[in-house]
Amino acid sequence: MKRFRNPTVINKVFSALAVAVIFAALVWLSMKRIGLNLDFSTLFEYKKRLFDGFKMTIIISFASLIFSMLLGMLTAMGQRSHILVLCYACRAYIQIIRGTPLLVQIYFFFYIVGTAWGIDNRYIAGVIILSIFEAAYISEIIRGGIESIDKQEYEIARSIGLTDIQTLRLVTFPILMARILPALAGQLASIIKDSSLLSVIAVIELTQTTQEISAANFQMFENYIFLGLLYFILTFAVSMLTKWLEGRYKHENRD
Amino acid sequence: MKRMAKIIIMSALSVLIMIAAFTGCTASKANNTLIVGMELAYPPFETKDTNGDPSGISTDLAKDLAKYLGRPVKIENIAWTGLIPSLQTGKVDVVISSMTITDERKKTVDFSDPYAHSYLALLVNKKSVVNSSADLNKKGIVVDVKIGTTANTYADKNLTNATVNVLASENACVTEVVQGKADVFIYDQLTIYRQNQSNLDSTKAIMIPIQDKENWGMAVKKGNTALLNKINTFIAKYKSDGGFEKLTQKYLPQEKKTFDTLGFPWFFD
Repeated sequence: MKRFRNPTVINKVFSALAVAVIFAALVWLSMKRIGLNLDFSTLFEYKKRLFDGFKMTIIISFASLIFSMLLGMLTAMGQRSHILVLCYACRAYIQIIRGTPLLVQIYFFFYIVGTAWGIDNRYIAGVIILSIFEAAYISEIIRGGIESIDKQEYEIARSIGLTDIQTLRLVTFPILMARILPALAGQLASIIKDSSLLSVIAVIELTQTTQEISAANFQMFENYIFLGLLYFILTFAVSMLTKWLEGRYKHENRD
Repeated sequence: MKRMAKIIIMSALSVLIMIAAFTGCTASKANNTLIVGMELAYPPFETKDTNGDPSGISTDLAKDLAKYLGRPVKIENIAWTGLIPSLQTGKVDVVISSMTITDERKKTVDFSDPYAHSYLALLVNKKSVVNSSADLNKKGIVVDVKIGTTANTYADKNLTNATVNVLASENACVTEVVQGKADVFIYDQLTIYRQNQSNLDSTKAIMIPIQDKENWGMAVKKGNTALLNKINTFIAKYKSDGGFEKLTQKYLPQEKKTFDTLGFPWFFD
């Protein structure tokens, strides 16, 4: 059994190659079946717009990540609050956001709430909407992290005479961070993909840029395949980051 | 290790063989149904009736075309940006969706002779400073267009100083003008007229054509001359038989009267 668990380098390379061949063959055969010839050269003339869109997607995703972390932390604490109104409000917020499609939320917030309160800038509105949406998920990640901390840790903290603040700083926070960081990094991948829906309110990020280009050059397949590739580059990088963080997490909990 | 690699290669090969065998099966359609693609989001040309079935001027036109060709008809509802790709991949035989004949589109598909004409017009928020098409290309003016429409092309080309928002649906554009998020929505005369009628307190319509007339054609896959020739004969015959007058009377009697009084050109003139 052991030799299966530790494959040799040659085996790894062979297997990866085989997988690549199977996937490529599937794509190639699908295109051949419908007689599709792809020509990616027209995309080159839009390279500036595509790069701008790519940047905008990254900016919006990171801004949303930061705001949704803040909001997520607040609502996670709110959920555990002894003030019942606050607790219910946070729970209701999470239920509603997680129970409705992002598309509906975008239209609702931009055209009704945004108009009512004078938020007319699409980019600001987009970041706010995306933050509110993702915070509900992050809140659950944080809540799960807090609940997973062993009660014994607090007992030990008290027995060695730590104050509440010290306990939070030296016990709760480090353990919590180590546990939830991989999940948070994974959430960043979701934010990147979810940000594509902001295209419906004409936020000119990567997806909207591609849609606009498709409307002009009619090379829909090339454009969208390339779009998928660009998103994959972003999410693959995030996924590598997640792996690395998971490794660190294991390291920190090593006996 | 060797056994593992063998297993992987064998499974990869068997998958490939299965795919190849599957590809061998003919994918051709058995019947000769005329599949017509249109976006059912442009009443009264392409829309749905209360049962959700396709209805409107273009659907009637599609049915009459199929009758002329002696083929059964099937109407496929496809989003605007997906119409031309559907032709390219053979998902539909012909697109009848109030599509303007443009040089750009001609590179990808073949168009029939024009069967109708339209003009672009402006739906303007009442508080906006825009009073004519000359006011459009200025800093600070927000212009909404629907993605992929000729208004989209017009805005990209001519409105380089204004802020242009490209939205996916007509409703979003109208909402933004009504709310004042945008100054102007550019679309065809009929839509602008109708949207203005239903939002009289917040919008005004500028109906003076802002560019030359646009010709609508039916589109087929590039090189499908056999079908295209038949379609052209059908359109000529339909015109001389008064088919378009019947469609006007059925779907747009009131609008036709208003357009005549205001001196605006009609679609089928």
